[in-house]
Amino acid sequence: MSMIDYDARPVTPQIVLVGHRASAVGYSIRDFLSRNAVPYEWVDVDDTERVAGLLTVQEANPDQLPVCILPNGMRLAPATLEGVAAGLGMVSAPTLSEYDLTIVGAGPAGLAAAVYAASEGLRVVAIESVAPGGQAGTTSMIENYLGFPQGISGSELATRAAAQARRFGAEVLLARRLADITSEGPGYVACLSDGTTVRSRAMLLASGVEWRRLEVPGIDELLGSGVYYGAGPSEAVTCTGCRVAIVGGGNSAGQAVIRFSRYAAHVTLLVRGSSLEASMSQYLISQLRKLGNVEVRTNTEVVDVEADARLRALMVSSRGSVTRLLADALFVCIGGVPRTTGAAQVGLALDRAGYVRTGAAVSSSAGALDGWPLSRQPLPLETNLPGLFAAGDVRSGSIKRCAAAIGEGSMAVALVHQRLAEIGGE
Amino acid sequence: MTSGNGPSEEARAEFSRLASGQQIRALANALERSGITVSVVDSGEEARRVVRSLLPVGAEVYNNTSRTLEVIGVAEDIERSGLYQPLRPRLYQMDREMQGREMRQLSAAPDWVVGSVHAVTERGSLLIASASGSQLGPIVSGAGHVILVIGGQKIVQDLNTGLRRIYEYCFPLEDLRARRACGRLAFMCSAWGRRG
Repeated sequence: MSMIDYDARPVTPQIVLVGHRASAVGYSIRDFLSRNAVPYEWVDVDDTERVAGLLTVQEANPDQLPVCILPNGMRLAPATLEGVAAGLGMVSAPTLSEYDLTIVGAGPAGLAAAVYAASEGLRVVAIESVAPGGQAGTTSMIENYLGFPQGISGSELATRAAAQARRFGAEVLLARRLADITSEGPGYVACLSDGTTVRSRAMLLASGVEWRRLEVPGIDELLGSGVYYGAGPSEAVTCTGCRVAIVGGGNSAGQAVIRFSRYAAHVTLLVRGSSLEASMSQYLISQLRKLGNVEVRTNTEVVDVEADARLRALMVSSRGSVTRLLADALFVCIGGVPRTTGAAQVGLALDRAGYVRTGAAVSSSAGALDGWPLSRQPLPLETNLPGLFAAGDVRSGSIKRCAAAIGEGSMAVALVHQRLAEIGGE
Repeated sequence: MTSGNGPSEEARAEFSRLASGQQIRALANALERSGITVSVVDSGEEARRVVRSLLPVGAEVYNNTSRTLEVIGVAEDIERSGLYQPLRPRLYQMDREMQGREMRQLSAAPDWVVGSVHAVTERGSLLIASASGSQLGPIVSGAGHVILVIGGQKIVQDLNTGLRRIYEYCFPLEDLRARRACGRLAFMCSAWGRRG
């Protein structure tokens, strides 16, 4: 036995990724690994001494980057997120030909539903494109979640919840997106981005939201090269000593500021509104005010970016005047857009902003119940399609809070039981 | 302070010698009397199978650093098989700045610890040395279950010989490995040098 714990690092070989820091694919792989709690070593291709020991001349060709060396020695060049996930054995096929419940999305609502449904004996599968936890999983510290007086990090909450769901027998299919939903008898078939199909008697859409895109010229070309959507937990350490800008006025932006303030030389929070009070929890505002390397600019918007191979500066507008703000990285945490890709075409009734209508909101929506085949009205979290439920941030009228999503995910399971009893077999 | 060249030839000869079957049986009896379940195995492969049979699928497991565990494949089973929730990779990728408290809690009280000892006396006293002490708490009281894989060369006659094994054999060997691995353990070298 060793006397030294070597910082608790794994003792078996880990994944090595070699590439350009400013690579969108490299970022997507780092983000995927980081959010799935898979340790990896990132080697920048400019570190010629290290690269020479890892790659052949041919592999170091820019066309072959990023290169991923898996723990078993297998090399992926150029590596893709899907290839890395498959190479690590993280892409599993559904084990059953039919489930009682398919959950789309493994954020707080989806994981809560998976835990409750599986613990009550239902055959459950959850589909998740990136990692368990959703947006909440990237939160540095949730301090107002019930039962954790010192707070709990989003990643730890997600890790525990996913382990809990699996312990009860729920399956989690990772690294694949929902491509399509079709109805089949009283149930549904989910078709995934890799062609996998999943049949179930009921379905819960808990796909959450994705970050709203910042409408600034040239910003899309910098994705992964200094511009990131979300809190970017995989990037925190690499921002050590850097100048970081964060856009947003909500709790996600506040959490990101706190995380990056631990690493960056300076963090600027750019808020379009006139104050934080309307959109951010008071405990976060209080913490931000105590941070010496954080500046909050209200009434401010990003109007342009300055970049070469990567982001260098932002042009920000405030009360009619435009100034230049040096920035090595920009993290965008503004609002959310409902994630209904792959689900909407089955005929879901959506509100004007694209969120999924459920329960009374379906009944009161003109035309939404056209074709509704049952004598009863939709159940509280049921969409305009019988047996297809929605919970969490993707649902119209939902409270955008982690605890609220968990509550809805749990509640949905009780309604799924009612639906399964209705169609028989439970 | 150690020379940095590893244990002396005398220490290597004395402390890498395998115990006799009689010594192993005596130790097993002594450990059983203390309430520790013992499996005596003939090979590393068999030890690996026993550990696998003891760890429940899905268990949260912390594997202590141990050449023995690495060589016989137990570390690989824990960290890479997908059968368990290995804490070591999970801790490694956590954010020390934001998740320090969670890291302390996870490493202090895992459900299962799989490790080894530096010496065990024929009467069943276990001797474990840890640079930071972090490995002691879970084994002594924090972990829900402890599995120790102990090679026959670690059995010593008494406590004094066990301590000698640590100071004259394990520490110089560890010092050599640490210097090769990271060359940044001077604090430990000087601390142990003063004690030794």
